[in-house]
Amino acid sequence: MQTMHLLRIISAVIVFTISASALSVEEGELAPHFNLPSIYPDKPSISLQELAGKTVYIDFWASWCAPCLISLPLYNDMYHRYKDQGLEVLAISVDNPVEEGLEFLEDTPLDFLIPSDPEGETAELFQVIGMPTSYLISPDGEVKLVHMGFRNGDMDIIEAAVKEVLEGN
Amino acid sequence: MRHFQSILTGICIISLLSGCAQVRPWERGYLARKEMAWEVDPLESLLNNHIFFSKEASSGGNSAAGGGCGCN
Repeated sequence: MQTMHLLRIISAVIVFTISASALSVEEGELAPHFNLPSIYPDKPSISLQELAGKTVYIDFWASWCAPCLISLPLYNDMYHRYKDQGLEVLAISVDNPVEEGLEFLEDTPLDFLIPSDPEGETAELFQVIGMPTSYLISPDGEVKLVHMGFRNGDMDIIEAAVKEVLEGN
Repeated sequence: MRHFQSILTGICIISLLSGCAQVRPWERGYLARKEMAWEVDPLESLLNNHIFFSKEASSGGNSAAGGGCGCN
């Protein structure tokens, strides 16, 4: 009887631990608000709320993540193709120290907004499931696409979703 | 007394769970470094695998895919 009681307590703890880690932001949910400093010390901070009404593509990246480094120049091309239609790209760097991300950006300049989240607070808010993970947010703040990893052909999937959201405006 | 022991055991087991820290995907910078790989020198690793295969007539099962960043 006591053993059963003990098992119940342990099961409850395990279930709680598993459920706590499964609270990632999913498609159809509203994107959580955040305000982060830019990775560039001379640029203003970046807030998702200020971008309300725009289609926003958020990508979590780090300089130690090889697929992230492949994807970023491709996101830069996508940004130039669709920025006139209202697309904003936010590539949130989770590099700690921040300088490691800046070193990569010196060699690979990117034209979109690059917030810095060295403590991973916003990554925690989104419950990022792997690196890289990206989120396509519609102008009304709804998450339209959650994309984890970056492989050959992924750009077609991402760009199709971006076009669909932009055309829906 | 036995009831007390069970509760104490339970508390001990639960407190052990707090020692299991999950490394979140955005915290894997150190794990993704080259020096954190199981085999730092690929040539030496290849040689060791060859010797192992010659001696044991079997190979594999000593590595896993991925670079530690949780992206594979």
